[in-house]
Amino acid sequence: MKIVVTIKLVPEPNAEKRIDPQTKRLVRSGVETVLNPYDEYALEAGLQLKERIGSDTRVTVFSMAPEGLKETLRRALAMGADDALVLSDSALEGSDVWATAYAMARALRSLEFDLLIVGGLTDDSSTGAVPGALAEHLGLPCITNARKIEIRDGALEVERETDAGYQIVRGPLPSLLTTALTFGEPRYASLKGIMGAKKKTIATIGIAELALESPVGTGGSKTTLQSFAPPEVRGKGKTIEAADGVAGAQAIFAFLQEQKLV
Amino acid sequence: MKHVIAYAEHRAGETRKVTFELASEARRLAQSLGGKASVVVLGSGARQLAEQLKAYPVDTIYVSEDRDVDAYLLDPVVEYLAAAARKVGPSLILIPNTLSGRDIAGRLMVRLGAGIVADVVDVKVEGDSVVCISPKLGGALVTHCALRPADYGIATVRPNAFAAAPGGGGAQVEELEKPAAIYAAAIERDVVEGAGELALEEAPVVIAGGRGLGGPEPFETLLKPLARALGGAVGASRAAADAGWVPYNLQIGQTGKTVTPNLYIAVGISGAIQHKVGMRSSGTIVAINKDGGAPIAEFSDLLVVGDAFRIVPELTKLIETAKGQVS
Repeated sequence: MKIVVTIKLVPEPNAEKRIDPQTKRLVRSGVETVLNPYDEYALEAGLQLKERIGSDTRVTVFSMAPEGLKETLRRALAMGADDALVLSDSALEGSDVWATAYAMARALRSLEFDLLIVGGLTDDSSTGAVPGALAEHLGLPCITNARKIEIRDGALEVERETDAGYQIVRGPLPSLLTTALTFGEPRYASLKGIMGAKKKTIATIGIAELALESPVGTGGSKTTLQSFAPPEVRGKGKTIEAADGVAGAQAIFAFLQEQKLV
Repeated sequence: MKHVIAYAEHRAGETRKVTFELASEARRLAQSLGGKASVVVLGSGARQLAEQLKAYPVDTIYVSEDRDVDAYLLDPVVEYLAAAARKVGPSLILIPNTLSGRDIAGRLMVRLGAGIVADVVDVKVEGDSVVCISPKLGGALVTHCALRPADYGIATVRPNAFAAAPGGGGAQVEELEKPAAIYAAAIERDVVEGAGELALEEAPVVIAGGRGLGGPEPFETLLKPLARALGGAVGASRAAADAGWVPYNLQIGQTGKTVTPNLYIAVGISGAIQHKVGMRSSGTIVAINKDGGAPIAEFSDLLVVGDAFRIVPELTKLIETAKGQVS
C-alpha cells in the first residue's frame, strides 16, 4: 500500500508573523521554518497505518515549497516517512487557494497512491479549502477530520469528528482523508530515525513536469489581495481586585449593565 | 457574479442562526450587485426550514429532501449546490465557515472554477468587483481580498459576522432535481453529543473555562448555569480540552474554534496566544482570574482578580434576579 501525506512548511507558529508591504507575502527570512503542526497529525496517521498494515507500505511526504526550504522535510523523514517529493518553482509564488490546489493536484496525480492524507488546516493562512479542492481535482472521496482510521477488506472505516459529535464513515480506496487533532500526538523523531533520514531521498519537481493547462502563481489566481492592516488595537481594560465572591460578581454585573449586556 | 446564493447548513431541520445571517446578507449583496438572492436547503427537514426562511427577504428557496444528503458525506451537497449555482447563473456563494462549510467550499470552488475567500467577516461591492474582508494569521492582520471578475465566487462566512434581518417575504420555494451521481463515502452512523446545545460559534455569549478550573466538574456546576442565565454557550481553552475535562469541540483558539460573541467571559484562562486568536474579536471580554498579571489582562475589557469558584455563582444569581425582575 502507498500512502501520501501532504505537508506545508510554515513559519514557526509562535514567531511574530509579518507581511512584506511590497510583495504582500509572508516574511520568511529570519523566522525558522517548521512542518505545519496540523500536518504532523496527518503524518502520524500515515505512519500508524504503515505500522499496522506492514512493512511493504510506503509513506511519501509531498510539499509545495521553495527549493531552499526543502531540507525542513528531513524532519518528516526522521519521524518515519520513506521519501519526500517537493514541488518547487518560482512560477508558483503568489498562488492563491485556487492556483495552489491546482498545482498540488497535478503533482499528486503523478504519484500512485492508495490513500492521501492532508492536515485539517494550515497554521499560517487557514482557508481550510485545500483538502476539498484536492479531492475534487483528483476525483477522490473526501473524508475530513478523522480521529480513527481502519482499513478493512480494502475499504476505509473512519471515525470523524463533527460539529455536534462524531460519525462513522465508510469509503473506498483510494480516498483523501484529513486528520483531527484528537487523532493522537505526533511522534518525536528517534535518534535512529534522525540518522536514517539522512540517507532518504527528497526529490524535486518543477511546473514544467506538470503539463499544466492553466497558469499558476499570481496570474493564475482568482483572488487579489488588495490591502491588509493590523486589527484595531484592543486597549487594556480595567483590572479590579475582588475582596470576595460577592464583590467580584457585583463588579462584573455593574460593568455588564454599563455595556448594556444585561 | 450577479446573484447571491446562501447555503443553509442545518442538522435535521434544526435551525442554525448563521443560516438567517447569510440569507439576510445575501439580500443586501444581491441588491448591490443587481441580482437575485436565493438560499439552498438540503436534506431531511429542508422543507420545514424553507418555511422559516420565508420570513427573510430572499427571492427563491431551493430545496431537496433527498435522503442521499443525509446518507453520504457531503458529496450530494456539493452536487446540489453546483446544480443550483448553474441554475441561478453567475453568482457569489455564501457558505458558513464551519467544519463542513469549509469542506463544501473547497470542492465547490473546483466544480465552478470559482475564486474563494475564507473566514469572511464583511463583504463590499465596489463597482463590479466583490471585496471580502477577513482576518488572517490568527487575527494578526485584517485583509481585503477581491474576487476577480468571474462567473462564480465563494466566501466562507464567519458565524456572528452579519445580523439576521427578517422582513420582505414572498420567496418562491423551488424543488431541485435529483442529480444523476453515485456517491462513495457513506455515513454509517451519525452520533450527536450535546444535542440541543447552542453551537459555540453562533452563541451571542460564550463562557469559557481553562486550567484554573482544575477539573471537569466546574464546567457543569459553575459555567453552565452562568451560560444558561446569559443565554450563551460554554467553551474551553486548549489546556482544558487536552486535560480531557471537555470534548475538543468546545475548544476555542488556534487549534479549535474561532468565536465572536457579543460577550466573552474567560474563567481561569491565562490568555496564551493560542487562545487569544480564537476569541480576540469578541465584542466585550471579561476575565476572572486569580492572577492579576495573566496575559489575558492585556486584551480584556475587564479583569476581575479573585476566586472564580466564589464569583461565578454570585454573578449567576445577580443575572437571574435581574432577569426575573424584567420578566
